[in-house]
Amino acid sequence: MNDVCIRMEGVSKHYPHFFLDSICLELREGEVLGFIGANGAGKSTTIRILMGLVRQDTGSVQVLGHPMPAEQIAAKLDIGFVSEDMRLYGAATLAWHMNFVASMYPRWDQAYADKLLRRFDLKPQQKIKGLSHGQRVKAALLLALARQPRLLILDEPTTGLDPVARREVLAELMSVLTDEGRTIFFSSHNTLEVEQISDHVAFIDRGRLIALDEKESLLERWRRVRLVVPPSTALPLLPGIVEVAGTERLPVLTTSQFDPDVVSLCQNRGVTVQAVDSMTLEEIFVANVQSRRELQPA
Amino acid sequence: MLDTIRHLCILSIFIMHTGASRIVLSQTGGPLYQQIVNQLKAKIAVGEWVAGEEIPSIRQLAADLRVSVITVKRAYLELEHAGLIVTQHGKGSFVAADVAPGPEIFEQEMVGHLEEAARLGTTMGMSEREIVSRLRQALDETEDARFIPKSSKESL
Amino acid sequence: MNRQRMNYAVVRHLILKDWYLNRGVILGSIPVGLGALAIVLTGKPVAFMLCIILLCIVIVGVGAQLAFVTTINERKEQTLAFVMSLPVSWREYTAAKILANLIIFLIPWLPLTVGALGLLLLPGATHGLVPFTAIMALEMLITTSLIVAAGIITESQAWTTAGIFFSSLGINLGGYVFAHLPGIAKYMWGKRVYWSSTAWIILICELLTVPLLLGVTFFVQSRKTDFL
Repeated sequence: MNDVCIRMEGVSKHYPHFFLDSICLELREGEVLGFIGANGAGKSTTIRILMGLVRQDTGSVQVLGHPMPAEQIAAKLDIGFVSEDMRLYGAATLAWHMNFVASMYPRWDQAYADKLLRRFDLKPQQKIKGLSHGQRVKAALLLALARQPRLLILDEPTTGLDPVARREVLAELMSVLTDEGRTIFFSSHNTLEVEQISDHVAFIDRGRLIALDEKESLLERWRRVRLVVPPSTALPLLPGIVEVAGTERLPVLTTSQFDPDVVSLCQNRGVTVQAVDSMTLEEIFVANVQSRRELQPA
Repeated sequence: MLDTIRHLCILSIFIMHTGASRIVLSQTGGPLYQQIVNQLKAKIAVGEWVAGEEIPSIRQLAADLRVSVITVKRAYLELEHAGLIVTQHGKGSFVAADVAPGPEIFEQEMVGHLEEAARLGTTMGMSEREIVSRLRQALDETEDARFIPKSSKESL
Repeated sequence: MNRQRMNYAVVRHLILKDWYLNRGVILGSIPVGLGALAIVLTGKPVAFMLCIILLCIVIVGVGAQLAFVTTINERKEQTLAFVMSLPVSWREYTAAKILANLIIFLIPWLPLTVGALGLLLLPGATHGLVPFTAIMALEMLITTSLIVAAGIITESQAWTTAGIFFSSLGINLGGYVFAHLPGIAKYMWGKRVYWSSTAWIILICELLTVPLLLGVTFFVQSRKTDFL
């Protein structure tokens, strides 16, 4: 079993118009966790608490074995952080930034940094203000990667990138993972990319963690079941039903606990199973959020 | 002349980028782990990977395909259950020694699907003739899906 | 909270960073200031007044600009997240901002103050103005410290601009008040340098105000829970 890289227990934070409520999550070394949530759901707050930039009101945070925010300096020596609202100094060049970061990180790998410059097609002598948004994101990522961090914390790293740039960034992030000691914690709106590269997924909505699971098991247990119900036949009570849509004769059930036995269960009751569709991570997220909001309207 | 150079450049870049795995995943091709399972099976079936050959480690393949390690792990587990590959802890993953190339790999899958179709048909109360005609329908649909251009239809 | 030791190496790098990003303004102000001093050498009485005004503008302007840019712009330009992602905590950040502003401000302030005092000590000049000039020079140092404190603590453009405004007002008022204090006015236009007790008291108070301001800044920062 790998070491625990991130552990949050009962972390809460009160703001005048927002409440981050008892976040509990754990991430082991070598794994990738994708964090999905709507705007304002609490992704950025959670990430800032992880980085020690915001002090939690209750609960404990341990990153790479260091309690946060108390030992944030020690932790940050092994962390590469890129945030969507982060900017570099426009008047300075990329080369200056590289020297600046290298001076504070003993494990800075210049050879790797040069390789990334070529791979991302960035010119070190260019001033940051002359770069496009995509180039700036890649520059920030270069600065984060070349310091050989054990943990990458990324707040929407690919938001605003064109599809080609996004592919390049994802490819680089994934190649970093061939080293088993590297861990990635990232938040994203792009559910496709979370679905693709995450080992674990966490859903957050309105300050609460509404799901935390292995990606493959989420994809395995959520299904959309299309039934044909003969008249005067009751809908069978299936486990984990989150939503019943469609019509009385042609209902569409969304379930979070699908089991192949469900099909025979329906057929024994005389209900035809027309189709059993898998759901994309996005559909699972939306179904999850909608059912929660119905139970607890704001 | 310039055109040729350009094409060669594009070709070489293409080869560089597809790298060691040369497995292509699609966003709309269904669950990722299933796509990986199918494509690895196909590689073994056509003999690209021979019995006993070493195949990329789970981590390496995950990085090449830009897919989560757990997804690749799942695919490898399924292939192991099907007896097509073996993973030796600390040594790597290999094509099983007793695997023979050829379409037999898909034999088991096809038999499974046919049996399932038969079972479903019987559950729905269909007769044998109905089930067989449904099979013909399915065959027609796969042919349509292959998009045969008009000009070559005569040769069929 | 644990007593964490300050990472001085990182503080040094942060100070160098702020120097690098602002070197243009600072280096440019020195010739302007020296030029202002040179005007006095023409000997005309109006030149003296002009020199004082220009020097005040240059020094206060540079100090305010530096303080504003290094404290407010980090949040405005969204580079704060980048800095805080480095191995720094609020301690290093605050210390670096305070020290950067002090040290970088001293780069134009010191030569210009020494230059002004030197001019006043030239034979034929009004030596009596030395204490007053020294007091006014320190006044400008205090002003800059105040603006830095406002910038770091409030991180608000509005409050810091207000700070700049009131500081400039303060300098003018201070200058007027000091010049009319009996302990100073009596010796200001004299031919020799005389440090009266009033002058000493004012000087010592000024010298104590700077560390006081900066200490308060550090303390207030330690109470903050959110740095982004």
